[in-house]
Amino acid sequence: MAGFLARRVMQGIISIIGASIIIFVISRLSGDPIAMLLPNDAPASMIEETRRNLGLDRPLWVQYLIFAQHALSGDFGNSYRWKMPALQLILARLPATIELAVCGLLFSVAIAVPVGVMSAVQRGGWIDRIGRIFAMLGQAMPAFWVGLLLILVFAIHLDWLPAFGYGSPSQLILPAISLGWYPVAAQTRIVRSAMLDVLDSDHIRLSRALGTPERLIVWKYALRNAAVPLLTMLGVYFAAMLGGAFVVETIFAWPGVGRTVVEAVFSRDFPVVQAGVLFTSILFVISNLLVDISYGIVDPRIRDAR
Amino acid sequence: MVLSFRPVVAAALLFLPIALLPFVTFAQAPKLATGTLTVAFAAEATMLDPTRSSAGVDQYFFGQMFEQLVRPDPALKRVNWLAESWEVKEEDGKPLLDIHLRKGVKFHNGDPLTAEDFDYAFQRQSDKKISIWTHLQAAVERFEIVDPLHFRIHFKEGDGSYIANDLTLWAMPKHYMERVGDEAFERAPVGTGPWKFVSRSVKEEIRFEAFDDYWNTENRPTVKNLIIKVIPEDLTRVAAFKTHAVDWIDAVPPAMIEEFKKLPGVVTASYPAPNNMYISMDALTPESKFYDVRVRQALAYAINIDAIIKNVLFGQGERYVEVGKGELGYDSDLKPYPYDPKKARELLREAGFPNGFDTPCYNLTTPREPYQKEVGEAYFAYASAVGIRCKVQGQEYGTWISFGRRQREGHIDGLYSNMWGHGLPGDPGTAWAGHVHSYVPGKGWGATSVHSDPELDALVEELKRTMDIPQRAALIQKIARIKHERVAGGLTTYRPVVTFAWRDTVTFRAWPMAFWRSMQEVGLKQ
Repeated sequence: MAGFLARRVMQGIISIIGASIIIFVISRLSGDPIAMLLPNDAPASMIEETRRNLGLDRPLWVQYLIFAQHALSGDFGNSYRWKMPALQLILARLPATIELAVCGLLFSVAIAVPVGVMSAVQRGGWIDRIGRIFAMLGQAMPAFWVGLLLILVFAIHLDWLPAFGYGSPSQLILPAISLGWYPVAAQTRIVRSAMLDVLDSDHIRLSRALGTPERLIVWKYALRNAAVPLLTMLGVYFAAMLGGAFVVETIFAWPGVGRTVVEAVFSRDFPVVQAGVLFTSILFVISNLLVDISYGIVDPRIRDAR
Repeated sequence: MVLSFRPVVAAALLFLPIALLPFVTFAQAPKLATGTLTVAFAAEATMLDPTRSSAGVDQYFFGQMFEQLVRPDPALKRVNWLAESWEVKEEDGKPLLDIHLRKGVKFHNGDPLTAEDFDYAFQRQSDKKISIWTHLQAAVERFEIVDPLHFRIHFKEGDGSYIANDLTLWAMPKHYMERVGDEAFERAPVGTGPWKFVSRSVKEEIRFEAFDDYWNTENRPTVKNLIIKVIPEDLTRVAAFKTHAVDWIDAVPPAMIEEFKKLPGVVTASYPAPNNMYISMDALTPESKFYDVRVRQALAYAINIDAIIKNVLFGQGERYVEVGKGELGYDSDLKPYPYDPKKARELLREAGFPNGFDTPCYNLTTPREPYQKEVGEAYFAYASAVGIRCKVQGQEYGTWISFGRRQREGHIDGLYSNMWGHGLPGDPGTAWAGHVHSYVPGKGWGATSVHSDPELDALVEELKRTMDIPQRAALIQKIARIKHERVAGGLTTYRPVVTFAWRDTVTFRAWPMAFWRSMQEVGLKQ
């Protein structure tokens, strides 16, 4: 297990280095930040001086080496717009994004697992049919639309929950549902199909023959085996939620990393983009590592095979 | 029975003062600031220090705390503010601004405002390491403090934009800033304005408290606390208002304005935004189709701007011809080109394009003003209808702004949906120096210009030097007429209009500072 983890950590580090190079190059290919930093009537001398001060006049590979050297010591440079350390800007927003992503994920699992299991158990029954409709709706309704719909119903018409903001549990409910809505569909399908496979397997048939209660068979033995593909999905979805929460953060005025990074992309604020993307990459790698570890916990055969 | 009036008179004498008490109180005592007002803005400032600001939107926040020497009032008339008086004088053939400061003005930390603070503001704004606005001080030769409330700004040559930009300087607390440094100042800014900084949570909100010692006792907030929430999404901002989470919102979505006007207990008001939209066209080289004035005029006749304002912008636009209503040099006699597609086709035919021609047309797809992308599409559809066949290319903001700058290699090669604000109340001097005057590398002229006209160049340069306001207004009118006739430096279209909504329990008088978002006179009805 230790060797496996060491390999995974190494792969993670290589992935992060790769991500840093890609984001560094792509952000610079996207355009010149100087035009957006200076007023229209700024004289050419000021434009050149600003370019020099920001180090943007140097060759790209030199810029990257300087960036990498500083990044290793936690210095991602100052935001061009906010004129404060980019890392500070990202770290201040990170808890809000993690909170939203965790709650969104919990919401999706809380819906997907019971619906997926019941759909498999009562295959072709009314729960299965409703589950399939639910899954289809989930995949057909993008997060921004779900968010606006939730605001319309629960904030404006029913006046039960706040339409925006950050800080109280009630303000978390609508954004978490919006973010978790889409993965519900995919997770329900994964759980359903994995459960169908497992429920048809020999050891489940043997358990039934031995007279094990059906509830125990479904919720303990079968679900545990069916959980492996779901765990893989959860790792991917958690990372996607961290990086892709931008839309939900914007709709609910949620002060998270996604909104900060996307706004930085539009204003060519390279230090913030780099710090944000790199941090999301690190969280992505960590979440995948945790998924790998959880495989071993869920299925000892995987652990032993390693 | 004999009635005695004595008890009645006694009672009247007793109760009369009580009955009149509220009126006496309102007439004599200063307005009490109580309660909390929560408002929602669609966009957020980055910097709270006016000198380090990098975008106009920064004024949304710092404009509540900081003040200038002069400012436009709600009627868009420029009035003395921190300056008690000022005038343009001449010394050794060079202009100077002679400025007397208002007495008794204090910063939020209690420091009195003096000429030293403006000298400090000038030094910071001239420092390239601090400010991106150093070019606004380029014509200044030196700053002279005469006494604590009197200073002079000496110019190397006339600089009309100094006047147009409300004398450019913001009052900065020298002693406080020197003590705490730039970073700490950003976290706890101190100005002379009606609102004192309390706290800020980036991407979320900023909190202010009414400044008790504010110098302007007439025009000041009457609510104690102000919270500005940042809600970029239109429908969420509307929902926040409808659910009473906020009592005032900016930028009501144009499509919802009619609905808002019908909401009971809600007040709406619309104001012209300080942005001037126009269509740039490549008129630099004879190879360009738009080099011929008839083609440029054909474009002007081809586009139905009024229909676009009505149908695309839901009326949230104000047509302008070179200079907007209320701007310096506004000329009500200057009429827009009427929508006349037949005339447009004729002009194209005369110019040698009976079958029209194809041209690239660049549109901004990440708008800075409502429905800007759709407006661009409408421009180009109208142009195509008369034969100026647009091959539309969308650009996001960063690409769009870089593309329009002449500092890059080459220049735009067709039509380009463009904008350059004239400010409020408005003066086109800076904008015209940037897009009407020919491009002169390294000299600051024609930063986005794709036009070259020696006569207009000379007039725009004269405008830059002219500090006398009546002379400046006359010159603006002259340039506007020539520019309009030759469709030079772009075809002017409209100024966006922004609509605010607030509950009728809120008192709000819009000041143009901070793009009408100044909470200078705001309160809650008791």
